[in-house]
Amino acid sequence: MSKIAKQAAGHEDATFSDIVWSQFKKNKTAYLSLWLLAGMFLLAIFAPIIASERAFYWQEGGETYFPWFTSLFDDNYFENGVDKFFNLLLVLGVPLFCIWMVGVRRIQSFGLSKRVRRQKMKRFGQILTAFFTLCFLFILLNPQGRKNIHSFEDYMDATTKESRSITAVFPPIEYGYSKQILKDKLKRPGFGGDCSKQDQGSDSCRSYAMGTDSVGRDVMVRMLYGIRISLSVGVIAVGIYVTIGIFLGAFAGYFRGRIDLVIQRVIEIVMAVPTLIVLLVLISFIEEPSIFHIMLVIGLLRWTGVARLVRGEFYRLRNLDFVTSAIALGFSTRRIIFQHILPNALGPVLVAATFGVAAAILIESSLSFLGLGDINVPSWGQTLRDGYLTQEWHLILIPGLAIFITVTLLNLVGEGLRDALDPKMRK
Amino acid sequence: MLTYTLKRIALMVPTFFAISMLVFVLLNFGAGNPGANQLSGEGSQDAQKGDNRESYRIFKEQFNLDKPILFNTRYSLSNDDVETTLAQILNLDKSVSLADQIAARDRVENWGRYAVPSLIHCLLNHERVEMRAKASQRLTVNAKERIITKFTDDVEAERLENKAIAKRNREINPWRFSVNQTGDKTEAKVVEFWRQWWSTNSAAWSYSFQDKASIFFTDTRFAKYWSNLLRLDFGKSHIDKKPVLETVLSKLKYSITLAVSSVFLIYLISLPLGIWSAVRQNTVADKVVTFILFMLYSLPSFFVAVILLNALTVGDWAIFPNLGFQSSDAHEMTALGVIKDVLWHVTLPIVCMSYGGLAALSRYARTGLLDVIRADYIRTARAKGLPEGIVIVKHAARNGMIPILTLMATLLPALIGGSVIIEVIFQIPGMGSYIFTSVTQYDYNVVMAVLLISSLLTLIGMLLADLSYALVDPRITFD
Repeated sequence: MSKIAKQAAGHEDATFSDIVWSQFKKNKTAYLSLWLLAGMFLLAIFAPIIASERAFYWQEGGETYFPWFTSLFDDNYFENGVDKFFNLLLVLGVPLFCIWMVGVRRIQSFGLSKRVRRQKMKRFGQILTAFFTLCFLFILLNPQGRKNIHSFEDYMDATTKESRSITAVFPPIEYGYSKQILKDKLKRPGFGGDCSKQDQGSDSCRSYAMGTDSVGRDVMVRMLYGIRISLSVGVIAVGIYVTIGIFLGAFAGYFRGRIDLVIQRVIEIVMAVPTLIVLLVLISFIEEPSIFHIMLVIGLLRWTGVARLVRGEFYRLRNLDFVTSAIALGFSTRRIIFQHILPNALGPVLVAATFGVAAAILIESSLSFLGLGDINVPSWGQTLRDGYLTQEWHLILIPGLAIFITVTLLNLVGEGLRDALDPKMRK
Repeated sequence: MLTYTLKRIALMVPTFFAISMLVFVLLNFGAGNPGANQLSGEGSQDAQKGDNRESYRIFKEQFNLDKPILFNTRYSLSNDDVETTLAQILNLDKSVSLADQIAARDRVENWGRYAVPSLIHCLLNHERVEMRAKASQRLTVNAKERIITKFTDDVEAERLENKAIAKRNREINPWRFSVNQTGDKTEAKVVEFWRQWWSTNSAAWSYSFQDKASIFFTDTRFAKYWSNLLRLDFGKSHIDKKPVLETVLSKLKYSITLAVSSVFLIYLISLPLGIWSAVRQNTVADKVVTFILFMLYSLPSFFVAVILLNALTVGDWAIFPNLGFQSSDAHEMTALGVIKDVLWHVTLPIVCMSYGGLAALSRYARTGLLDVIRADYIRTARAKGLPEGIVIVKHAARNGMIPILTLMATLLPALIGGSVIIEVIFQIPGMGSYIFTSVTQYDYNVVMAVLLISSLLTLIGMLLADLSYALVDPRITFD
């Protein structure tokens, strides 16, 4: 390691994101909310470990099966892409995280300057993400459907009716989110054995920590898997509209003139149509709307805010000296827009995106509440609709509070980010 | 100021046109089949099936659903097109799927009179008897003229003309034959009739360039819709066959009642609350109020609505009446009684609609006041000995509340859109629940009308916001 490199490593200036991060950490509520959201994300990843119909381990006679592992990417069990994505995170997440930690350690031990180190880490992260994406595409393009065997129901039948001797290990909750236990319809939340209805067989002694819904699905499991749906609806819809907004806003703000005029008119048009009504119309006119349609439609309708924000920032930054000097140096327009101006305009976009995730979650759950959502996914709004129709308190309060808490946490993080980005608030 | 206003209003016209175009294209290219319920009896009995088919065809004609969406090129229909489609309907070589067969039948039906020359050609020249028979059957339907609905004052002349058309339509009705009738002279008679009919009527199908251009642009759903719209005719609902505008206007009073009283309530509470908590910045009271407002802001309104509905309208705590806008026996009450009854009914919906906006606006008001409260001119006002109340209300608030005014413009359309879910939950027969039921029944005309009306309201709201900015803040001019 050369002396100069060492010196450079010692005299690092804090980057803008470092400053923002340290400011953000000072806001205790926002910081805690971020951690709670991370906890929710982990819960979403580990959902199949907590609740699944299939046994981790199933031994009968001399043969041993691991049905849980095969069910993770099975079309008969997890049919939608969101679940497959999270399951892949569950399988690959831990090893990839370990590789990342080891890699970062190695890169840090080289003693490079902070700038080079960041570049290397970025490249390393890109390689890992690319690997993950390839795996995900492989799974999506090779759908597999196996016969639904070795489930908890099979186990109960085999041991009680046929009295076979089976050793099996199940997750703590032995039901998936779409499993309907019809004899346990509309059970109130309870703990321990609840054997008031003994005439209905051994299974009705079961109690459910959050009760069951009108077709006998375990509410707790649906809440758990619902985290996956809500978070991915929020993130993907916002991802779509932030991308559209950044592109259109950047072009309008940078090129001005006629392009600006046209984009402004388009923004005005999209802003004038009432979002919720158009959403209702589009979703109800799509035959069998899936959760991805909902993400797409939200993304295509709500980009105007981000576009206006980015346009304003570009208008302001376009006249500053660093842009003039970049133009004088002969950089390409693409480079000036995306590498010079855009990073300076991203702060407000990040704040808007955080609030946007909360709003998108609200929109999705209100659509499901109206009965227009994807009926195959365990959306929180759907359970709330069930509560509205059956007037059961646990079906109203549990999903409602789940939505409320998620939205509150996201809004708190958004507020914290806004304050951290605001130079006036800096101490 | 006046020039600016006029310029903005002038810009609104193309914007509104573009919105209508966008909405129109979205609706018409979407899935779903309006009026499909007319066909629900199909398949039960053959006779009934024929009747249903005919009533569905007339239904499509009435609502222009048989027309192409944006451009009409049917004047150039070739004999081949028609023959292939007829072959698809008959499914002679048993290779066509049922869905394609149904689509082909719809296609010929929608071509209407444009397909007549090719059908005649097919009837006179085709070598297969099935095709000739089918062509004759189609001709008796496709050659029918449309009952006109001109908008003239001369109702009597119109009636006579329609009568004549109906007579001509009846005349061609029997001239068809089926495959098993070829042995007797039916076919020869039918062919002879159509040959004569064509020789007298063929002039109507020779298009000049102007005819083609006018068909291309005007004989479409979009053109028909717009020409009706210019007369403020939003068409009729596909479901209850009543004029849409009439229904919307009658529903509007419920929605406006809710929206306006919500806005009023929001401003009435949030401005003083925001100012109050800004003045006490960083005290315990301020922190508690800010926290509560933040929670309210994140609370989904449909959740609150369901809770209130379940807690306060049924069971032990049933303080409020159950659902709807007023009681069923409202017409027997006195005026005062009606007002009291309506108030009693709308309390919960208004609470649900306003608390979110209230929380948002109070927070804006608070930050708005905090922005100006440290300004020099406020210190000057205090220094010259003005009482604190006057400093806050007259000097600080007037300046700090400017951003709040512009929110008014976004609030009203948001309330109209957001009222959908509340109106559905509380079963209030306003615009929101009307559009919800229309959407689920594919009632295009209603959905179009409601979308256009609410976008127009939004555009006007945006304009008003910008203008009110200039009115309140003397620093802003648009000239």
